[in-house]
Amino acid sequence: MNGMGQMDKTNHDENTTLEERMKNRDGKGWLILWPLLSVFLGLFSSGMMMLLLGHNPIHVYWDMVNFAFRDIYNIADIFAKATPLILTGLAFGFAFRSTLFNIGAQGQFYMGCVAAVFCALNLKGLPSLIVLVVCLSASVILGGLWGSLVGFAKAKFNANEFLISMMSTYVALAIMNYLLRGPLIEMKGEYPQTDVIPESSWIPSLLPHTRLHWGFIIALLAAFFAYFILWRTTLGFKIRAVGMNRNAARYAGIDSRKIFVIVFLISGGFAGLAGFMEVNGIQHMLVQGFNPLIGAEGIGIAILGNAHPFGIVLSAILFGALKVGGNLVVQTSTIPSSIIGIMEGFVMLFVILSYYIQDRISVSRSKRQLKAKERGGHK
Amino acid sequence: MDKDKAVLLKGITKYFPGTIANDHVDLQVTRGEVLALLGENGAGKTTLMKILYGMYQPDEGEIYVKGDKVTIRSPHDAMKLAIGMIHQHFTLIPVHNVVENIILGMKPKPGKSLRVENVAEDIKELGEKYGLEVDPYALIRQLPVGMQQRVEILKALYGEAEILIMDEPTAVLTPQETEKLFGFVREFTSFGNSVIFITHKLNEVMEIADSVTVMRDGKLIGSIRKTQATEGLLARMMVGRELELTTGEREKKSGESLLYVDSISVRGDRGNMVLKDLSLEVRKGEIFGIAGVSGNGQEELAEAICGLRKIEEGHIKLENIDICNQNSLSMIKEGIGYIPADRHLEGLVLDMSVEENLILKNPSDPPFSSKGILDWRRIKKNSKDLIRSFSIKTPSSSTKVKALSGGNQQKVVVAREIIIGTRLLVAIQPIRGLDLGAADYVHKALLEEREKGKGILLISTELSEVMTLSDRIGVMYDGKLLKIFQREEANINQIGLLMAGVTGERNGTNG
Repeated sequence: MNGMGQMDKTNHDENTTLEERMKNRDGKGWLILWPLLSVFLGLFSSGMMMLLLGHNPIHVYWDMVNFAFRDIYNIADIFAKATPLILTGLAFGFAFRSTLFNIGAQGQFYMGCVAAVFCALNLKGLPSLIVLVVCLSASVILGGLWGSLVGFAKAKFNANEFLISMMSTYVALAIMNYLLRGPLIEMKGEYPQTDVIPESSWIPSLLPHTRLHWGFIIALLAAFFAYFILWRTTLGFKIRAVGMNRNAARYAGIDSRKIFVIVFLISGGFAGLAGFMEVNGIQHMLVQGFNPLIGAEGIGIAILGNAHPFGIVLSAILFGALKVGGNLVVQTSTIPSSIIGIMEGFVMLFVILSYYIQDRISVSRSKRQLKAKERGGHK
Repeated sequence: MDKDKAVLLKGITKYFPGTIANDHVDLQVTRGEVLALLGENGAGKTTLMKILYGMYQPDEGEIYVKGDKVTIRSPHDAMKLAIGMIHQHFTLIPVHNVVENIILGMKPKPGKSLRVENVAEDIKELGEKYGLEVDPYALIRQLPVGMQQRVEILKALYGEAEILIMDEPTAVLTPQETEKLFGFVREFTSFGNSVIFITHKLNEVMEIADSVTVMRDGKLIGSIRKTQATEGLLARMMVGRELELTTGEREKKSGESLLYVDSISVRGDRGNMVLKDLSLEVRKGEIFGIAGVSGNGQEELAEAICGLRKIEEGHIKLENIDICNQNSLSMIKEGIGYIPADRHLEGLVLDMSVEENLILKNPSDPPFSSKGILDWRRIKKNSKDLIRSFSIKTPSSSTKVKALSGGNQQKVVVAREIIIGTRLLVAIQPIRGLDLGAADYVHKALLEEREKGKGILLISTELSEVMTLSDRIGVMYDGKLLKIFQREEANINQIGLLMAGVTGERNGTNG
């Protein structure tokens, strides 16, 4: 009898605390609310900067929105700009799901560029579809292999992947620069850049007379692929387990070292694919010092998107819009072009701050619960 | 107030997410004495001392140093109050030399300079005074661990510490180095200074302490003078939670041999041998209990069996098949379930859902997946079945495990491991931190598996738990099984003494 009473009491206690937990649990709504709040605060703070620069932020933002959505060309350009950003965002976000820091998306992107341009230049005369498939695969493979070197260093020597991936970008840059001055240099041999790749290797346009190409669809598929791997396969299950508790994963018989290599392979593949998009989709050639911030922007986008593939797509589009609108505002007014960077920077800053605040909230909530529980226990 | 009290802690409480690390703990250190802070791993000793040293802020409670109420916001504040701490993991910079490490972060005192030569002189003097000689210009990375500890101590002394906190200082030392350290501690306190000595080793307490404060599960259990203490009493204070003894007659089920551990030796995380030539046997339908104070090699034994730790010598056989030094995945496939000591760190992925945690060890097995694609419908069904049969209280099967109470989290681990462990279950402290209801449930589950003919290796520091459940009981001390008792012949007092390493022929180490 006594024992039964005790059981009932504990059950009851547990139920009430669970109800409380249900109420203020991190629901799906919060996941979207925090980034939105951060974006708002980021734009608000940038507005303050504009005030200091002597511009009316309301006008500037109004112009930006107007410019960005003025015509179909600009709207399409938002998505064209978002395409590689989705992929470098995925490069960081996918690894981040395993609590690995892939800071080297820039380098993996360059390797993808090199692979794509090399294949495009050397496959003259073949049918367009074949050339495109080869370029795409080559960029993914080379980017992936380049990334997997980082994973291998981590697995084999317990190297710090943050540092190694960052440094690997400089190596990739040096390799690309060498190729652009040597084997891949244009026929004229004047500038460190390649010839324009044959038109058969251009990614077909999605909307005529805009820069939006089919690569955007491929980027969306890549995001879906990332989602599918992470949440629908045993590999993704293991990747996430390693990411959230490496120790428990070890106890569960998961070999983290294998996961490191695989994650960086896939991650690098995404960044390499971004190279294909930029070379075959937009630039149609490879130029030295090309798109030097795409990797760093991917990090911010992944963080803003909560490292979730679909969140990354949305935040890449937001960044695309900021770029398109921002560029046009800068061109048509006296506002300095660095304002775009300031906006991006403030948004990221507030996103990161929001993670800190969310963390504090959950810690203090947990403390409150313990206190309440303890008081209940002392009664 | 009483100037004689070097340190007085009153009602210190510290919450960490999910646990209470310190629950209204009082502690008092008199000048010129050594206080041993005794307790098992995870009892909250280090947290309490980090609060005193300013590394954590207490959520409640008051700190008095030499009679004055103080607020210690950082180690810097602590040093100003003449409190020094020797951490378990040293905080020295390996590529710098001794002097550089000692002056790091120090401000010159009035009338003194921080010139390297002067400091080196001072260090030499200090070293000679306390028998802690060390070359001031040696690089830290070239010094052996024992010497590095000296540097840590010298750093605290150079900062004019009068109250020295030492967090398990002997864990890294050889017996000779330990002797020397104890010599220093005696010398240091003879000048009216105080030492707080964190440890879980009873023999050290008996040798060095003047008084003893015992902690368990974040709570203060008691403070006594060493003169009133015996090893047996301290051991009981440290581990003994009173449990309802749900014993009663039961038929002997134990059958043929299942697990045979044949004189294995295993190294610990620090590279020293923590298991020495240990042998034991678990039969089918038997619970073999291992009693002992934690840190005597129990976890390493479990890890060796589960393929998580390399076996240097000896063999482990499961039904006569050698399973020595295979990886943990093949041990899972062999049907060995493992309920680890720390469910948050080792047993669960707290940010994953209940259903995901329930397949953590076998996501690739049918029916949970085929050809690498997860079948969420089956995973959810499995989860719902287990939630029902183990009465896990959770809002839903997709709730994150971290939102569950400790007891229900443990039920998730137990449910999974019972499914995995078709032949053998290894359980360490399976009811740690659980309320009575949940603890009882887990115990009943283990007994049921015994009835089914599985072998169970139960490792616990709670003597009553081992005594209640086990068919046979081995007492572990310093990497060895000192004695194995049959259930009927087990005797709490004798086991308690064995847990303290007292084997009958008392040797004279305890003065």
